[in-house]
Amino acid sequence: MKRNTPLLTLLTGAALGVVLLIVNMVSYPNPAKSPTSYSAPVTSAPAASTAASSPAPAVATSAVASPTPAVTVTVPVAVNFAGKAQKGNAAVAVAIHGDKAIAYICNGPTVAAWFQGTVSNGKVDLAGKGNSHASLTFDTAGTMSGSVTVHDTQFPVSTLPMVHSPAGLYIFTGMAGGKMIKAGWIEMSNGTQIGSILINPDASAPTVIAAPLLNVASATATYDGTVLHATQISGISGSGF
Amino acid sequence: MTAQQGTSAPLPPQPVSSGVLKWVIPCLIGGLVALALGLYGRLHHATGIAVNIAGFSSPGYVKSWLATGATFFAIVQVISALVMYGKIPRVTAPSWIGTLHRWSGRIAFILAVPVAIHCLYALGFQSYSTRVLIHSILGCAFFGAFTVKMLILPKQGLRSWVLPFWGAVVFLTLIGIWFTSAYWFFSTFGIHR
Repeated sequence: MKRNTPLLTLLTGAALGVVLLIVNMVSYPNPAKSPTSYSAPVTSAPAASTAASSPAPAVATSAVASPTPAVTVTVPVAVNFAGKAQKGNAAVAVAIHGDKAIAYICNGPTVAAWFQGTVSNGKVDLAGKGNSHASLTFDTAGTMSGSVTVHDTQFPVSTLPMVHSPAGLYIFTGMAGGKMIKAGWIEMSNGTQIGSILINPDASAPTVIAAPLLNVASATATYDGTVLHATQISGISGSGF
Repeated sequence: MTAQQGTSAPLPPQPVSSGVLKWVIPCLIGGLVALALGLYGRLHHATGIAVNIAGFSSPGYVKSWLATGATFFAIVQVISALVMYGKIPRVTAPSWIGTLHRWSGRIAFILAVPVAIHCLYALGFQSYSTRVLIHSILGCAFFGAFTVKMLILPKQGLRSWVLPFWGAVVFLTLIGIWFTSAYWFFSTFGIHR
């Protein structure tokens, strides 16, 4: 039997892989195929909220089911959403990393607002500048719905889909053409893109203009003769958080 | 696998043509394993989340530490193999070196499996950057190469370079995987749990 031990090693690893895959399929069914049974990427354990004050934790974990005492199912909250709002040709992107969330809404030439917030009990509450705020909840279908309010204008958001890179949210902050700008782009999964630039973003009423097209492959755009190197804000990788 | 092999039982009757089959079939199976992983990673809709181990700050850290563990045991693999083959001057292989080699390999493999499943299920085979593309390819190739190594291991009468060759392929793929994942992750986000 000694000769078969390499095969045994192989089969043991394969069996472990299959078991893990099945546990995954049960715990996190494919949202595209089984929308009704999708479990929203949210933790219900109270312990998860303790990560709020510490600097590094990126993902909330909670013991939901435990095949063995040592291994527990963690519910990492690491997702990106992007899509159109239900109003005003605006796009909305939400990146969730751990219990932190970053959101952005823009429509090109007139609306651009950034939000930061936290995730708790399946709900994302975000605050922006002035009277801007957003509130979104996870749907059972693996999407997000709610509303984003920018300076008293409310943009309803319905079934905002989960997206994967290169779709998602991109940001550039810095000097360009002698001005301080904060540019944001939302690349949707169908390849359409909406982007806006806030000029003097820290002013009480920054100017909004449409952003030049961002090349998502290189994450660059050219504005006023300056090449802007954007970075992706991603809940999956944690970049931008 | 070990020195005492071959003295216990007479060789089973093998047709001459099995000389080629000895490595062609394992290579085909290994290739299919790599291809299957790649296709699954590409066609399966990545969920962004998957089952993981608690106690770490993020799935990225779980995977980085598991991958680092696998890489550590892979280094033990290379050293123990060199000792077994008498390639380290003035070191004679102790009797337990075969056991060390086998178990370090098994541990490395078992540590790598959950990482791979998390990658395949949550992230998929991706190509949005050079690092990610190389990592995706090497990740699939590693399990294919490991399959080949395990399947040819019990075969007798292999040419002397065959096992070291596949061992090197498996090791180098794993090192490539580690550099394009855990090394990148730790250097980007810092080394902690």
